[in-house]
Amino acid sequence: MTAIVVALNLALCFAGLSALALSLDRHHRDAFLVRAGAARARTLRIAGWAGIGLSFAAAVTLEGWNFGSVQWVGTLTGAALLVVAFLSYRPGWLRPAALLALPIALVALPLALYG
Amino acid sequence: MRQGFRQSMAWLHAWSGLVVGWVLFSVFVTGTASYYRAEISQWMRPELVAGATDPASSADLAAAYLQKAMPDAVGWYVELPKPEKPAVGVMWWKSLDGPFHQALLDSTSGAPVGARDTRGGDFLYRFHFELGMPPLWGRWIVGTCALVMLVALVSGIVTHRRIFADFFTFRRRRSQRGWLDAHNVFGVLALPFHLMITYTGLVTLAPMYMPWGVAAAYKGGEMRFYVDSGLMPDLRGPAGKPGTLAPLSSMIAQAIAERGEAPEGVSVYNPADAAASVVAIFEEPHGLAHEHPQIAFDGTTGAVLGRNGATRAAAKTSTVMLGLHEGHFAGAALRALFFLCGIMGAATVATGLVLWAVARAPKGAKADGFGVRLVRVLNLGTIAGLPAGIAAYFLANRLLPLDLAARADWEVGVFFGAWALVAVLGAVRPAGTVWREGLALVGALFLAVPFVGAIATGLHPLAGELRFLGFDAAMIVLGVLFVLAARKAGRPRPPQAQRADAAIAGREALRA
Repeated sequence: MTAIVVALNLALCFAGLSALALSLDRHHRDAFLVRAGAARARTLRIAGWAGIGLSFAAAVTLEGWNFGSVQWVGTLTGAALLVVAFLSYRPGWLRPAALLALPIALVALPLALYG
Repeated sequence: MRQGFRQSMAWLHAWSGLVVGWVLFSVFVTGTASYYRAEISQWMRPELVAGATDPASSADLAAAYLQKAMPDAVGWYVELPKPEKPAVGVMWWKSLDGPFHQALLDSTSGAPVGARDTRGGDFLYRFHFELGMPPLWGRWIVGTCALVMLVALVSGIVTHRRIFADFFTFRRRRSQRGWLDAHNVFGVLALPFHLMITYTGLVTLAPMYMPWGVAAAYKGGEMRFYVDSGLMPDLRGPAGKPGTLAPLSSMIAQAIAERGEAPEGVSVYNPADAAASVVAIFEEPHGLAHEHPQIAFDGTTGAVLGRNGATRAAAKTSTVMLGLHEGHFAGAALRALFFLCGIMGAATVATGLVLWAVARAPKGAKADGFGVRLVRVLNLGTIAGLPAGIAAYFLANRLLPLDLAARADWEVGVFFGAWALVAVLGAVRPAGTVWREGLALVGALFLAVPFVGAIATGLHPLAGELRFLGFDAAMIVLGVLFVLAARKAGRPRPPQAQRADAAIAGREALRA
């Protein structure tokens, strides 16, 4: 079920990249009007890399090294473009959108595994 | 003199990108469209309705047609029908240097189909690497530009000093800063794709660009190289005596029995010779590599002559790169992502070209110099002209009379004509409004495609025809995007953007 795995990858990459973007002062200010404190920025950074790492692990486990990695790079690009679009047009929506991506990933994971 | 490494790379990036930018934009756009080559062809031949087909019996019909069309042909290729492409494509030639004749046959009667004469998605696909020129010329030009693209990519990475800090940064201003942000976002976010597609594109045509290794090792018998590397079965030459070709259907039945699926096509070499050979060619098996399993038959007896071998590391590397470039392995979702990446590639080139001109526009009331004006005109002529040509190509497919002689050539003529017209308009209209006009025209053309198509053919969702929903939706999305772009181009620039430009003009590293 490649389409489900693509959805799972997109959701995880999007959540991860959103956290990474918000860990940067400029984008944190765009979204929340204040700078991220050092601790918050670090938490966001760790969460962000974790999301991206999880997405890669899911892609490689579910699709194999060759397909999984190709597909993962594609979803990373798609998700990053989405993050940029949010930051540029609706920065305030980035956090809710990223939080919404997590349950989507949670639904997609069992579907991808057993669907 | 340039001061440092980064400045010299910025200079290299700006100029290498400029000289090949217009060709690269065309290559990216038509290549990206080629991810949907089959869908475009289906839309352009609305008469062909999907249905059950029998590959074996239709191959015999094709052979009967080909024997009549050119009894002394040295080669045939029969593209067998599939449910989603129910016609039989045939090609025949008297010499490998061409000309290559082709026709589309009905899979149950064996007569030429009643579908309109068009080159379909194949035209955009071939334009992608031949630019509509004589093939060798086009391929050399595209290859040279792709090589320079690699230079531009690497020098661009070096020039971009804050790849990670600015990873998500896109300030939506119509200023030099805004254009630079857009160029960076499209370039950086899809960078793995850009590097992959440029490099693998060069690999695709590498045997043509660098034939010397194979030529030195095989000395005139270059075909042998493809047999040795596992890409082709070993074929025999003609016997010089006439022979009778056995029914293709029996060989296809054997091929189906051996591999459990119908081949996608059959090549026949020296069909009228006593030593005729028939090669059944199968779709690529699931995997990244572009490798077609093949079974060769003795054309007169139907006995198996051989199969292509397994590829080893070097050949495998090359076929995987070819596979990555074409993306045939990608399902619908991944193909959409490839398409998005291709659009981002075209957008990287387009924003780079515009940025070049914006960064060099004279400040204040001074008039443009000849160079900047030329770049501006070519920018509009390409960035609006090519999409206008594609939309016009689709419109021509629906509007040209069906019985027009050389109809397929007329469609291509309309493509180039519309492109040239937009380019000329771009050169003569006032610079202040020309982008708005050009982009709005492209948007209107794309928006017209589904409606003109529906009226001209009577095939539309309200009449119960759902085959073209995807294509029509894509046309509307493209049309709306171009109209939005036109609106944006039409808005006067806010004064703060002009001030911001003046402020960064001094420290802009891109300015060589």
